[in-house]
Amino acid sequence: MKRRLLAFILGLLVSIPVFAQQRQITGTVTSAEDRLPLPGVSVKVKGTNLGVSTAADGTYSIRASTGQVLQFSFVGTTPEERTVGEADVINVSLKADAQVLNEVVVTTALGIERSKRTLTYSVQKVQGEDLRASNQANIINGLQGQIAGAQITSAGGSPGLPSEIILRGVSSLTGDNQPLMIVDGIRVSNASTDGTVNRLADFNPEDIEDISILKGAAAAALYGIDAASGAIIITTKRGKEGKMSVNASLRSYVETVGRLPEQQKLYTNGLGGTFDESSVSSWGRKFRSDELIYNNMERFFQTGLVNDVNLNVNGGTQTYSYYMSGNYRSGSSIIPNTESDKLSLLIKGTANLTKKLELTASANYIRNDIQEGLVGSNSGGWANSIYFYPLRYDIERYQYENGNPYYEYFEETNSQTTARISPMWGVQKNPRNSGTQRVVINGNLNYKPVKWINLSYRLGQDYYNQGYGNVTVAGTPGFMDGRIYESKGNYVNLTSIFNSTFDREIVKNLRGTLILGTSQEYYEGRSNTFSGENFLVPGVYSINNIAPANLIVAEGNPKRRRYAVYGDFKLDYKNMLSVGVTGRNDWTSTLLGDNRTFYSPSVSGSFTFSELFNNRGDWFGKVRASYAKVGKDAPIYATNTVLTQYFGIGGGFQNNATGGNPNLVPETTIEKEYGLEFSLFKNRLRLETAYYDKESNDQIITARVPLPTGFVIQTFNAGSLRNRGVELSLSGTPLKNRNLTWDVTLNGWRNRSKMLEFPGQIEVFPYTFGQPYSAAIAGSMINMPVLGIIGIEYEKNPDGYTVIGDDGYPVINSEGRQSYIGNREPKVNFGLLNKFNYKNMSLSFLWDFRLGGDVYNATRLGMISRGIAADVGEWRDKEFVFDGVVRQPDGSYVKNTRVVPLDYNYFTTNYTSVGTNFVEEVNWARVRYITFGYSLPQSLTSKLRVNSLRLELSAQNPILITNYSGGDPEVNSAGPNAGGGGGSTMGVDFGAIPISRTYSLGLSVGL
Amino acid sequence: MKKIFRLIPVLVLLIATSCEKLDINTNPVQPVTTSSNLRLPAILGNMAYHAYSHARYSSFHSFYLTSRYNTLAEEARWDYNQITRMGAWRWHYFDVGSNCIGLIERAEEEGSHNYMGVAKIILALSYLTATDSFGDMPFNQAYTGTFNPVYDPQEVVYQGVAKLLDEGIADIQRSGSGAQVMNEKSDLLYKGDMSKWIAFAHAIKARMLLHTANFQDGYDEVLAEAGAALNGFGDAIFNYSTAPTKDWERNMWGPTIPRPEWNFADIVNELNNTVSTDFFINYMKVNDQGLVHDPRLYKLTTPGAKNAYNGARASEGLTVEGWPTPTTPPTMDDFANLYNGYWTADNSPYPLFLKEELYFIKAEAAFYKNDKNTAYEAYRDGIMANMTRLGVASADIASYMASSKVKQSAGELLISDIMMQKYVALYLQPETWVDMRRYGYSATAYPGIYRPLNVLPEFGDKWIQRFPYDPQTEYIYNPQEIKRLGATARNWVLTPVWWAEKSQLKN
Repeated sequence: MKRRLLAFILGLLVSIPVFAQQRQITGTVTSAEDRLPLPGVSVKVKGTNLGVSTAADGTYSIRASTGQVLQFSFVGTTPEERTVGEADVINVSLKADAQVLNEVVVTTALGIERSKRTLTYSVQKVQGEDLRASNQANIINGLQGQIAGAQITSAGGSPGLPSEIILRGVSSLTGDNQPLMIVDGIRVSNASTDGTVNRLADFNPEDIEDISILKGAAAAALYGIDAASGAIIITTKRGKEGKMSVNASLRSYVETVGRLPEQQKLYTNGLGGTFDESSVSSWGRKFRSDELIYNNMERFFQTGLVNDVNLNVNGGTQTYSYYMSGNYRSGSSIIPNTESDKLSLLIKGTANLTKKLELTASANYIRNDIQEGLVGSNSGGWANSIYFYPLRYDIERYQYENGNPYYEYFEETNSQTTARISPMWGVQKNPRNSGTQRVVINGNLNYKPVKWINLSYRLGQDYYNQGYGNVTVAGTPGFMDGRIYESKGNYVNLTSIFNSTFDREIVKNLRGTLILGTSQEYYEGRSNTFSGENFLVPGVYSINNIAPANLIVAEGNPKRRRYAVYGDFKLDYKNMLSVGVTGRNDWTSTLLGDNRTFYSPSVSGSFTFSELFNNRGDWFGKVRASYAKVGKDAPIYATNTVLTQYFGIGGGFQNNATGGNPNLVPETTIEKEYGLEFSLFKNRLRLETAYYDKESNDQIITARVPLPTGFVIQTFNAGSLRNRGVELSLSGTPLKNRNLTWDVTLNGWRNRSKMLEFPGQIEVFPYTFGQPYSAAIAGSMINMPVLGIIGIEYEKNPDGYTVIGDDGYPVINSEGRQSYIGNREPKVNFGLLNKFNYKNMSLSFLWDFRLGGDVYNATRLGMISRGIAADVGEWRDKEFVFDGVVRQPDGSYVKNTRVVPLDYNYFTTNYTSVGTNFVEEVNWARVRYITFGYSLPQSLTSKLRVNSLRLELSAQNPILITNYSGGDPEVNSAGPNAGGGGGSTMGVDFGAIPISRTYSLGLSVGL
Repeated sequence: MKKIFRLIPVLVLLIATSCEKLDINTNPVQPVTTSSNLRLPAILGNMAYHAYSHARYSSFHSFYLTSRYNTLAEEARWDYNQITRMGAWRWHYFDVGSNCIGLIERAEEEGSHNYMGVAKIILALSYLTATDSFGDMPFNQAYTGTFNPVYDPQEVVYQGVAKLLDEGIADIQRSGSGAQVMNEKSDLLYKGDMSKWIAFAHAIKARMLLHTANFQDGYDEVLAEAGAALNGFGDAIFNYSTAPTKDWERNMWGPTIPRPEWNFADIVNELNNTVSTDFFINYMKVNDQGLVHDPRLYKLTTPGAKNAYNGARASEGLTVEGWPTPTTPPTMDDFANLYNGYWTADNSPYPLFLKEELYFIKAEAAFYKNDKNTAYEAYRDGIMANMTRLGVASADIASYMASSKVKQSAGELLISDIMMQKYVALYLQPETWVDMRRYGYSATAYPGIYRPLNVLPEFGDKWIQRFPYDPQTEYIYNPQEIKRLGATARNWVLTPVWWAEKSQLKN
């Protein structure tokens, strides 16, 4: 054993195979059915490690000697062998293998690979190359439009902003609604702390072989505790058998600002129509002809440039393989003083230690540093300071040549200073810096004592440190003497899994698969935060430069441990009928006593009815159904109350604002899923649909609670909600001939949710970080769709007309606050991916359509309050008759005819107090990406002494067609899980930074 | 193969023995309990913040302050419909209340009845401060864990406050030698002087009884409690650091506009954009020979850029009545600087209860008992105590006391004399808003009072009477109680609290 390991390592170092009497054999591999060349066919010299793949035109070239046997194999075809004789050219045509035509293998829970043909629940697979073609640095963004049922919203167009992915609707009102993230079998963090980038963005998209999306509870049931929100199973590339291949690429991206809201260009600073230099509003008089008006939004945003270099090396033999990659990405952004800098290194190797024992190990190191000029924290509203900035000031004027602040307005009255400065001061001087170093290590030992038994043990650790903070330099209004804030932490997630798989034909035509396993997971974080004010020596921005009395320091140390045992039993009859049951029992440290253990069962089945027909080789049809119940544990340390230091005079301790709750029980989610799968015209057209009905009960909610309890925040169980939806995935190859292939995939989905029950008497539940203005907030309301907009509306008469007051203005509903005025979930989503391959050229583009669903345009509300919105320019002081009815003394209503001015008072006290004025039903059609690639023909590449050379032109978000009145309607004001405060803030536009339009040029070389 | 099955019991055993390892859900970096002496400072500091969180708004409603911006929702328009949180609600129930409850529990275990009594007295003061702004509120079902407690009528809350005070006094009196030591480190008000705590408890009771005496025939009781309080009373003043460096050590009214941590966001002071009202300034004008202003004006405020002492119309921005036109309109420079006055510097003390308030309580009660001499004496005592406190020179005190502003005989004394002097003495304190509402903002008690112009037009001719409950929690978890009270209405803040509704002193 030891000797073999040594041999393996030595083999890695000195693998210089020597062959005698070899000559070059060339040829073309084609498809037997349509005579088209087949690229990517594996050509190997039997009994050796030597192997190549066919090029895009189906040609290959390999060194072999007479008498040796060449093996040709390709997915979905019957392999062929040819003995090398006299001829130097060997052409082969491969026949489609009817049996494996539909033999798509997907990775399911716990990394178990299963044939999609007999799968009893919905799993969607995204190929690494489709992810790559989207040219997104953040893997989550790269999945947009590619998965039916995944709602992906990015928090905006700054590189440090996180993105959120929700599968099949929000299932937990305040907990994590994002699916479990698994990379090569171990759980990795996708946390977004305090508005920092979601940590899955650390991983290099180039390293990804494919991603399996386990959407429902049944698919993810083996993950138990975290399965309620589905799971994303990422498999990274591994070395391919054959000679070493080296691929390098260089890409340059030019980022330009996306769609922005519009401003008025008529009125200057002031309030109520009079010029007032001290005011930050633009409700002043009209600009005079001699005054300059600055187009500050245009002046603020810039063009960003990002470079991305990628290199990978891989290869292997029958006994070992290796994959190694490096990626460096660095650049600027549309926001000044914003930079990102990321390095990733991955090493992965597999060795067959014996015929029965396989070892895989990998290590991934990542460094991800981001400096952000505009963003920080999880409350959103980042670009408001830009959108609100009065147009009489030049946003680019913020300092003198010596670096001192340039205040546009400075007032020193009665020893008090009021200073106003361009937001560019903060952007340039006080950016937020976040930095992460991460090491993910993963080892797996696989033992196959006999053909039908597989035992595996996996040990993995995701470790990262993260620091973020910002310095507020002296001279910044509000902190004239400066301030520093920083948070640093180390986080570790340790997973160990033992799996045993037994797979055999029990009796003829009946195959049984049994999986038994156990897992252990440990999470620990250790963090410090410190903040302090007043730098002693100007220009030194460190806690060392702050008096100890002015520092506040805190430590955090969350820990969690979980154990599980599980089993999965599946019976397949003749590839026609499949039945599966799973069970998992979890033990968690975050709950107490009997509540600490809970059981998650699932049962599922499928029936492939096409097997009943004689022409079953030509088509495929399957129905499936599943039921699963999964549990979820509580947040860490939510079961007891602690004291926290009192920083005021006298010191000592006081109650922590978060109270404990020893009675917490697990949250449960029950999901039923029905599906239908079709494949027609010899697999040229494939259809997959699913309907699901998911109900989550005993919601574990962490929220502000009524203060008479003596707590501010508490975690408690209560309430239930439901998601129902349909998913459809249609893919096909409408065109396929010698030169041209056209592949289309259409993903469509619709989710409808409903809040079924709240704790106690609650009728409305607001999300902590989704409340930009009191006119409307993001929240949930009983019996209504979960992702609602709750707010104030106008009073309506019994016939539904707006009631207009005697003064001629609409009347605000006096029982305000509690009306459900919008549903932020889109009615229908479609993603349409087209891929064309013509000779050496490829073109792919992804359309993303969204129909319906409301967006809360709080950006516009803020801009109207400040008098700077385009609408104010259009309507201010105009005469207007409100459409509505006036109540008469006898109780009847007559149509309003009174002409009133739309004045300052109306806009600031009436219009902006009413949430319904800022809810818009939004449709969009957008192109997420277009990527055009050109591979140089082999005649040219061989002259250049390279295997392949590819040029790529790409654009991300180049086209956006929408009825939305603001900027880009893809908004999520507080980021994932509404900034950790609950639910989701997707569809809340609060000073959002629009997603950039990006253009890129790429060059990749294969050696 | 058999080997594999042999593994299964091993696995089961592994799980079974691992259960102990699951007992890691207690935060290792935070204590769960601590001794009484380490809990009291936070309670007292938070009580000062609690009182301030009321004063933050009530100072505008009681005509001390008006903003340069005539559109400020709560301050100028009395429009509380825009707020997302009501800080004062939290300061009472959580920051002060829950810590008092925690201290009471711990002190009982320790046998520290001194701390127990003090915690009850502060809890009583906190309840009284809160209910006077909010009206009905949970008392009996508070701190029971329920998310939708019954809102007790204010009358019941008052009974509860009285009971807490009586128990607090009794606890202090039975405190024995086994109790934790209370000294200047833990007791930032009285340095462990228990007789002062007992006097303070009587003072709080006198304040409370005065609110209801007019309709409950309670002036004798008020006089009795005020008398008991004045016997050995020490000012209940929370002292901030004399040379503060951190926001936590600063008075919230101070010019650095302290923001100690995030939870203060909604109660930071706005004095930099605020000026005195004409109602306040007019009363501070003496206009006698050699005495232009009440000398306290120069102590409560500091000179503005032009050394001018104008007063602005409440809610109307920097509008000064009778300002000569057409000259440039008034600017901030034409008013006194509100910062760095006696109560408004970073290191100012924060008043929870001043001795002069006791004198004015006594004066008012005696006035209605027709004991004009006692009333007159207490009235003069109150003025002098306040002048002395503010550091007015004795010669200036004498000339003010002899001026036309001060009644020179018991026979001349009007209720407005008492109330306006109390108004000045309790500068920026929320108790003034209680007094004004008790008198229905009447010109009899407050000559020259007027309804601010820029109040929301939909409020008709009604006056501000209370705060709304915390919209983030109470309106969400307890909608049925909130609906029963009528607190969802946009004009809920115009509904008088119980003692204001019942008051016989209006008009």
